[in-house]
Amino acid sequence: MVSRAEVIDESRLSAALVRWATGEAPSEVHVRFDAAPGATVRDWLVALRASGTRLTWDASGSLPATAVDVEPVADPRGLVRVTAAAPAGTRLTIGDRFGAFDSVVTPHGIATFRLPPVSSISSSVGRTVARATVMDSLPTKRIYLVGRAGWESKFIARALEQEGWPVDAHFVLAPHNDVAPARSIVLDTAGYAAVVLVDTMLPEDAGRVARFVESGGGLVLGPGATRGAGALAAGSVGAPLAAPPTISDSAPELGLTLEPTFSLRPGTSVLARRRGDPSVTARRVANGRVVQVGYTDTWRWRMVAGDRGVAAHRAWWAGLVAVVAYAPAMPRASNRVRSDPAPLVALEDRLGGPRPSSGAAAPIRPWIPLPWVFAAIVLLLLAEWSSRRLRGAG
Amino acid sequence: MGRAVTTFVFATGRYQSGDWDSAPLVPVNLIDSVARYTTIDVAPTGVIVDMASADIFDYPLIYLTGHLPFFFSSGERRMVQKYLDRGGMLFVDDHNHDTAGVFHRTATAELIRTAGRLVDLPNTHELYSCFFSFKDGPPNTNHELNGWGDNLIHKHLQAVTRDNRIEVLYSSKDYSSEWGYHPDSKRLMQFDNTKFGVNIIVYALTR
Repeated sequence: MVSRAEVIDESRLSAALVRWATGEAPSEVHVRFDAAPGATVRDWLVALRASGTRLTWDASGSLPATAVDVEPVADPRGLVRVTAAAPAGTRLTIGDRFGAFDSVVTPHGIATFRLPPVSSISSSVGRTVARATVMDSLPTKRIYLVGRAGWESKFIARALEQEGWPVDAHFVLAPHNDVAPARSIVLDTAGYAAVVLVDTMLPEDAGRVARFVESGGGLVLGPGATRGAGALAAGSVGAPLAAPPTISDSAPELGLTLEPTFSLRPGTSVLARRRGDPSVTARRVANGRVVQVGYTDTWRWRMVAGDRGVAAHRAWWAGLVAVVAYAPAMPRASNRVRSDPAPLVALEDRLGGPRPSSGAAAPIRPWIPLPWVFAAIVLLLLAEWSSRRLRGAG
Repeated sequence: MGRAVTTFVFATGRYQSGDWDSAPLVPVNLIDSVARYTTIDVAPTGVIVDMASADIFDYPLIYLTGHLPFFFSSGERRMVQKYLDRGGMLFVDDHNHDTAGVFHRTATAELIRTAGRLVDLPNTHELYSCFFSFKDGPPNTNHELNGWGDNLIHKHLQAVTRDNRIEVLYSSKDYSSEWGYHPDSKRLMQFDNTKFGVNIIVYALTR
């Protein structure tokens, strides 16, 4: 090691790292970053410091900041949910190793995306790039659907089938003449991910649906079925609130008939409201999850709303099933893309905070929004916690 | 125009070109049969819906019939195409029972133009077993057996299908005459000939 100090800009850092690693490293290095460095550069600097070089850094201005998380969704098409954070008002770009595919301005600092299968995802703000890899896959099973013959049952079954779910549908038609699946239903989590009870429950199903949910299966309850669901329900069902005869693409829920949920059971979360009335609620029952829906005629969203209604109705029902579906995570084979979900946070964590190059006891300038760093850490922890909670990891 | 919610409402389509209202008694007989044989929540009266109107989206099954030339206006065609794309189903029946007649020639051409290719529906299709069982396919009508119209017994219905699902069901068998009798006559009949109509409605409500 040579007794000398070097101040280096980020643009010359890569070449300098090679020079220091293959020759005499200086005794003191100060790096000025324009963007949060990636994991490889950080590792290299940590190794340089471990070899005896005193290392400090600061930034020429505010470092662009971002963080990203990706997790699989219980969906037959292998969709993933991406949550990305950036300071409010900044433009955030989402992509994978082949390039960018979406870009948004985050008014509130966070953006979520539902994407086709990817193995890794990146979010970038300026030249700061965060990366996350999909660690698990969620193999999906079948859905058992029961409803009275009618448009609601028919279009829910159709929507789920069009989203890729295999559906065993039982339509109640007459005392001894229902439309039922040809196969006999063995309702357990080995074969089924979720049960959808649209507006009724078969008497012979009452016990086995409860056992299915308690063992980890998912249940989606429509208002007509909620009344017979007993302890599985999230709450009681109120009187129907009629809606206007038209439905718009922009606010379809305003055009549907709602039987709101009230007297919520302990532990129930309200996932959606319509003008203050709970329209979608969820709760855990033993190892399983139950979602209770208050709308009785979502088929009108598909038929009566605008041209986007078909796809939106399908996605909505698939989303409800994804919330409750039993889909145990299976670890994926290791990914070549290294995960680096919050590079700015990692920089501070591994190399300490920014310091002026002189090494004098000068006050640390609050040049990065420390509250934002804290918020990024909290967001990532929340994303990880909610992911673990939804997957039943406790 | 009323709005269908969860109750099944039998809808007859009104189109501009011909005599759309040639079989006014069909709805009441089919409604009676659905109520008699199933637990389907069915409205006691049917509705008439304008094929050019957005009201058609409230009724995912629509019945069309007539004797005269059958054409959709451009507005009707546009609505029907959206209707089928969203999951609606049409049941169209030739009230002439005449494949050489003007309704059949114009209606089949219009349906092909609007919805796609009409093909013979196999007589093993689930339509024939989804509620009542019709082992030989579509039941014959009295007009066929009496030599009315084209003097043929049509062995198949035709359909436009998408993703293995019937979007348009077309009949040359004249079920409009078969089912278009006064409701009081039903109790005098030895066999209820509207049962196949129940199958069509059950199919529409479950597939």
